[in-house]
Amino acid sequence: MSTARKELLTIALAGNANVGKSVIFNYLTGLHQHIGNWPGKTVEKAEGTLHFKGRTIDVLDLPGIYSLSAFSIEERISREYIATEKPDVVINIVDASALERNLFFTLQLLELETPMIMALNQVDVAKAKGITIHVPELQKSLGIPVIPTIATRIKGLGKLLDKAVKVAKGKKLPKPARYGREIEEKIREITKLVKKIPIQYPPRWVAIKLLEGDEEIRKVVSRVDPKIVSSAEGHARDLERIHGEPCSIVITSERYNVANKIARKSQRITPHPGPSLTERLDAITTHPIVGYPILIGVMLLVLFTVFSVGGHLSGFFEDAMEPIKDAFGGGVGELIGEGLLGGLIAGIAIVLPFILPFYLILTLLEDSGYLPRAAFMTDNLMHRVGVHGKAFIPFILGYGCNVPACLGCRVMETERERTIAAFVVTLIPCAAVTVVVLGLVGAFVGIHWALALYLLNLVMIFILGRVAFKVLPGEPMGLIMEMPPYRKPNARSVLNETWIRVKDFVYIAFPLIIIGSVVLMGLKVEGLLESIGDFMSPVTAGWLGLPAITGVLLIFGVLRKELTLVMLATLMGTADFGTVLTPTQMIVFAIVVMYYIPCIATIAALVKELGWRKAAYITVFEIAFALLLGGIAFRLLTLA
Amino acid sequence: MITESVEEYLEAIYRLGEREEAATTTSVAKELKVAPASATQMLKKLAKQGYLKYKPYRGVTLTLKGEKIGKEILRKHRVMEKFLDTLGLPKSRVHKDACELEHHIPNDLERAIHQRVEGEIPLPPGAPGDVMPLTSLLDGQKGIIFFIGGGRGASQRLADLGLTPRTEITVVKSALFHGPLMVCVRGTTLAIGRGLASRVFVREK
Repeated sequence: MSTARKELLTIALAGNANVGKSVIFNYLTGLHQHIGNWPGKTVEKAEGTLHFKGRTIDVLDLPGIYSLSAFSIEERISREYIATEKPDVVINIVDASALERNLFFTLQLLELETPMIMALNQVDVAKAKGITIHVPELQKSLGIPVIPTIATRIKGLGKLLDKAVKVAKGKKLPKPARYGREIEEKIREITKLVKKIPIQYPPRWVAIKLLEGDEEIRKVVSRVDPKIVSSAEGHARDLERIHGEPCSIVITSERYNVANKIARKSQRITPHPGPSLTERLDAITTHPIVGYPILIGVMLLVLFTVFSVGGHLSGFFEDAMEPIKDAFGGGVGELIGEGLLGGLIAGIAIVLPFILPFYLILTLLEDSGYLPRAAFMTDNLMHRVGVHGKAFIPFILGYGCNVPACLGCRVMETERERTIAAFVVTLIPCAAVTVVVLGLVGAFVGIHWALALYLLNLVMIFILGRVAFKVLPGEPMGLIMEMPPYRKPNARSVLNETWIRVKDFVYIAFPLIIIGSVVLMGLKVEGLLESIGDFMSPVTAGWLGLPAITGVLLIFGVLRKELTLVMLATLMGTADFGTVLTPTQMIVFAIVVMYYIPCIATIAALVKELGWRKAAYITVFEIAFALLLGGIAFRLLTLA
Repeated sequence: MITESVEEYLEAIYRLGEREEAATTTSVAKELKVAPASATQMLKKLAKQGYLKYKPYRGVTLTLKGEKIGKEILRKHRVMEKFLDTLGLPKSRVHKDACELEHHIPNDLERAIHQRVEGEIPLPPGAPGDVMPLTSLLDGQKGIIFFIGGGRGASQRLADLGLTPRTEITVVKSALFHGPLMVCVRGTTLAIGRGLASRVFVREK
């Protein structure tokens, strides 16, 4: 083995959501992190590097999950990674204030038999709840080193890293916890069989997964020896007979029993006399009457802040950058000036000023613990759109910009809920669409028509959401969500998280906006726009009753939807749209802009979250739907 | 044997508490539409029997014994209201009849009606009579999980978050408009959608 190989260590961070995992990840890797997707998957992969005592350490932040059953893609990816890639050490980050539930996950990690240590985080929060944990006792019960930490105050993290490196070098494998006698007997029987076949997973873990009836592991094993699977099925049936519950539940209960025993042995709880701060805040923020005005107030405040701060920033950037763009002229100059720089300026001056404050406020709300309360309050409403309460946040985000809204659909646990949520989100009129609807219909036809379009949009969202809910395969999954305690947001982690999100957005949206705008400028310089307009005229003029030139606008709108209005003014040579379009044409045009194709940056976000195929389906569907609706509207309005 | 009027009083006091209103002689009398004088007399009697603590001019608080009955009657009242509503009876009768019926419904019948009204998953045969869906518990009530019905994915997910059979669970509060339940289980607080919560069957603790 070369020395370089010896110097490089891999650390994987694993733990429940809301335990401070990302704070620790950010501390360890600083700004040396790269965020992408897992190969071939739509799950985010956060990796970073750090240098510690002369060695390079690769740190991988696994998704925040509660179990290693194959319930969600995140869970499958995490266990597949730990079992087959075998990181040098796993740091299990645990919320000391909810020890029992966290230990349930720890026990599953131990089953994977990889070198492991525990970061017992948020000991301060636990203390505030009256929980003190006896670390040596916990260490003895689990057989792995336990380091108490307070990540938000960087306490214990140096020691944690030190220990992690030591354990990684020692390659000491932990011993999985033992379960009840009759379960252990079955596990032993199956393990014996599994040990005989070549398989890359730990045999005992495979045995447990077979007992649980885990689909994926069953497939893997039956490819080698189907007899093992059927024998495991027999054992599982035995257990089901004894307990009267499905075997996977029997084993889950057993893990919780062990977790409960360990937790009880190693923690002392002195309950507080009065209600805690969280309880007192919850009494107001989730109050059946007072809670809703608070929710509406918070949302309005968010939108108001974003639009006012964004508007100022946007104006400032635009003024600052206009002279640069004007420096280029004619032919290639226009291509560079209008296309390349125009795209870049649009990105910096129009998109970023709104995204930045939005993410900052969103992260603040998230870090403080308010978002889960909002989801709790709106679950029932969101069910009518075919999703559950967690989709409320992406839904609201959508009215600002569809891109972060699509990225925000990550909070939905299953592929099915994520798809429905992202689809619904792309139907929401973003700020750019609002510009078109208000600037055209609102200004020249009447504000009540603009409002009617919004109402129609809501109706369509409800209908299409319901349809997607019915049509998509899979088991619908209701809301199950942890309600973390309220806490004071941590400036460091809020800024870091905001920065990562903005970076994420810029990486997705900017290249597309710039390339798209260069291509369109190229077409314009070559004089091809006219012919494209003619080519599309059967649809625009024939079916929608619009001037043929609008075909070009709709193509430009793919970049950013407000461009349709800006360019309409340019092409028509007037901003007084009342003189060039009839009211019917304006309404039809606004309808098409509202529903057709998510803009190019949104498509990119869809690809990231759902994959190419689903992104393509949604795009094609929405183009067809917009044309259909526009055509119907044209006919109805001319009839009247 | 507890008389119907005792149950009515305990229910009314419990309901006042739920609305976070102070239970005084006046408010109880108003709630039950009786004269304050007769309310005073009854409250004194209930205090003597250990259902509540009564201090003149200071109001009443239910004892554990009284709270348990008040909760149960209110729960039955609400189930019956919903049931009568589905039968298409006029609103005025729904409330009146529910007030009447709440005193005569045994627990297992209440559960059966609840399931019919909410369209819920049937229990395994031979389940004890006092098993009911989590959604039947009132705010603040505790239960022991007996059984989790429904799809494999959902029940595993609930179990993964600590809702396994024989675990204690407390309903902290339920959101309006048929919204989710906030529950406390294994020292953590979770929000569970109503659909999922109705698959979790508990025995009241």
